[in-house]
Amino acid sequence: MNVEQVLFWCAVGLYGVSASAYVFGFIAENEKLLLGGLAAAALGFAAHLVSIGARWAASTTNPFISISESLALGTFMSMAIFLLVQATSRKVRPLGVFVLPVVFILLGWAGTLRVASDSQLAPALQSPWLWVHIVGASIGFSAVLIAAGLGLMFLLKDGRSGRIYDRLPSTTDLDRLGYRFVAGGFLMYGLMIVSGALWADQAKGSYWNWDPVEVWSLVSWLIYGIYLHLRITMGWRGRRLAWYALVAVFVMIVTYWGIPFSAETFHKGFRVEHEWQPPVDGIR
Amino acid sequence: MTPLAAPTSPSPPGRTPRGPWRRTFSVISSPRLAIALLVAVLACSVAGVTVFRGERAWVVIFSTLWFNGLLVLLALSSGLTFLVRVWGRKLTLAWVGMVVFHVSFLGLLGGVVYNSFFSFKAVLRLTEGETLPNGDPASYDTIEAGRFFDFKRLRGETTLVRMHRNYKVEGQDKRSAYEIAVGEGAARTVSTIYVTQNLDLDGVRYLVSKEGYSVGIILRDRWGKELYAAMVPLQSLPEGAGNLLYTSGSIHGPSSFPFPPPPAPADLLLQVTYVPDQGKDRAGKVELATWPVSALEGSPAAVQAADPHGGAASPPPAHTGTVPVGGTFEAGNRRLEVSEVRYWVGIAVRHDPGLTLILTSLWAGLAGMAMTFAGRIWQDTKRGKRGSSGREPDAPAPREIT
Repeated sequence: MNVEQVLFWCAVGLYGVSASAYVFGFIAENEKLLLGGLAAAALGFAAHLVSIGARWAASTTNPFISISESLALGTFMSMAIFLLVQATSRKVRPLGVFVLPVVFILLGWAGTLRVASDSQLAPALQSPWLWVHIVGASIGFSAVLIAAGLGLMFLLKDGRSGRIYDRLPSTTDLDRLGYRFVAGGFLMYGLMIVSGALWADQAKGSYWNWDPVEVWSLVSWLIYGIYLHLRITMGWRGRRLAWYALVAVFVMIVTYWGIPFSAETFHKGFRVEHEWQPPVDGIR
Repeated sequence: MTPLAAPTSPSPPGRTPRGPWRRTFSVISSPRLAIALLVAVLACSVAGVTVFRGERAWVVIFSTLWFNGLLVLLALSSGLTFLVRVWGRKLTLAWVGMVVFHVSFLGLLGGVVYNSFFSFKAVLRLTEGETLPNGDPASYDTIEAGRFFDFKRLRGETTLVRMHRNYKVEGQDKRSAYEIAVGEGAARTVSTIYVTQNLDLDGVRYLVSKEGYSVGIILRDRWGKELYAAMVPLQSLPEGAGNLLYTSGSIHGPSSFPFPPPPAPADLLLQVTYVPDQGKDRAGKVELATWPVSALEGSPAAVQAADPHGGAASPPPAHTGTVPVGGTFEAGNRRLEVSEVRYWVGIAVRHDPGLTLILTSLWAGLAGMAMTFAGRIWQDTKRGKRGSSGREPDAPAPREIT
């Protein structure tokens, strides 16, 4: 097992410790456990960062191509934003109750799918659009994951009082913050779809192919579009949108990493293939 | 005394009687309709990746008139709904962003509709050295053309000069690249295209699509006189474990074919399979099998030869053998010479006059989202500085637009 793998599994382990500390800390209303959860999360993030860096340094291509690499990037970005939010406000510490278990499970799953880096990037991936696409995708996912965490905090706080609940932000603030993260995620997700369309047009001559991953991405984007319309046009607030954000993030996870497993798509394994193919007919 | 007629109830102040057009406009520009359409498109998309999948989803949902009509209605409804409600409002960044975002749907719709009328999408299959006229529909394997597309737009001809394997650009392996010459006479443009580099000539784009092998076969009589010669493009059929079988036939499996092919009279039925040399490009072995033409006359199924997937029963070949590239094969009173191996390529030829509007609309939509996001954060921050309204989140919120 090389250094990169050791660090990767250290990150998984530390996120697991952090997730447990957050969940039990919240149940026991123990601030120290929550603080311990944050410390473990920060250490896990450091290990995660170095493991990605080590993988990148050791390979000739960028380490964000395979499904496990994509999961590692999505969770890395989520942790970066989570820690940034934690640094901004101590009030949202229990956000880890939702974010860390999800990150722990996704990164652990990534660990079971790990393969060696490709020596060469597939030709279709040799495009600057790759960077725009994956940055949009990973930040978009992170934003809606945080929004779902805020939704859970809202549901936990709503109508309750007590030592830990009183220290949480007001439901109004949680609601507004959740909305901001959804709006930001919607924008970044839009960036992912638009860059994907431009990239597909460059590589395949067609900006939209109704490929399963494209359709699922559209579904996720529309789900968050409906969230925004329910809030802005229909005036929804509070519990309903908190539940909505929680359910929607699972659709997002299925779209990102579930569909390439279960459907025939040119995104399969995040390798946009351009291989020898049979012609339409036989003989000229 | 004539009783007085009951007075009719007066119209509400400021309202005029509504005609059918106004009512229709009112329905289309209703936010409830826009959200209902959004949910309907969402439901259809989910059905298209769960209940129906792949080609079936394309046939049953995504290519249908009703689904595309739904998309058109959604674009119209969301665009109009928004424009009607923001008309005359105070200009803010979020407001402008929302206008740009919703109008981009109309732009996208316009681009897609315009493109559907004037676009051209086809696959031009060429073997190295071959030239085909661009304006002749017979040159293409598949064609999807808009109702008003004019074939005169496809001027000149296209030649595949060479297919390059493991083509490198700045150290990056592009795997395959096609060196093509397109145009008329001396004014032909020679370009090398690969997966992220296409050729755009007068609004017609040439993109790489797929490749395969062509085997040169010369038919001779027993004295060596040449009777016919042709390049035979081979299928690349998956054999499992990432291997491919390069053989004559169709996408459904290997089979023989009349040689010479129609309209010339067939001399025999031939099946060609190429086994590439692992070390040297365009070298290797060629497996040949022949049947008498009478096998074709007996039953169409009889030409299905040596189907490894257990296809139609076929008579055993009259002659079989394996020769190296450059070798000669004796088939009764005929000789078959495998002269060379070349590559064939499928070049995707596209003309999308609505593409600029479509892609611009996508960018505009994204810019609109960014402006709205920034504008709302700014508004929220300003409100926060002024103090919270004190309204609880579950209390009914005003229906705002900006």
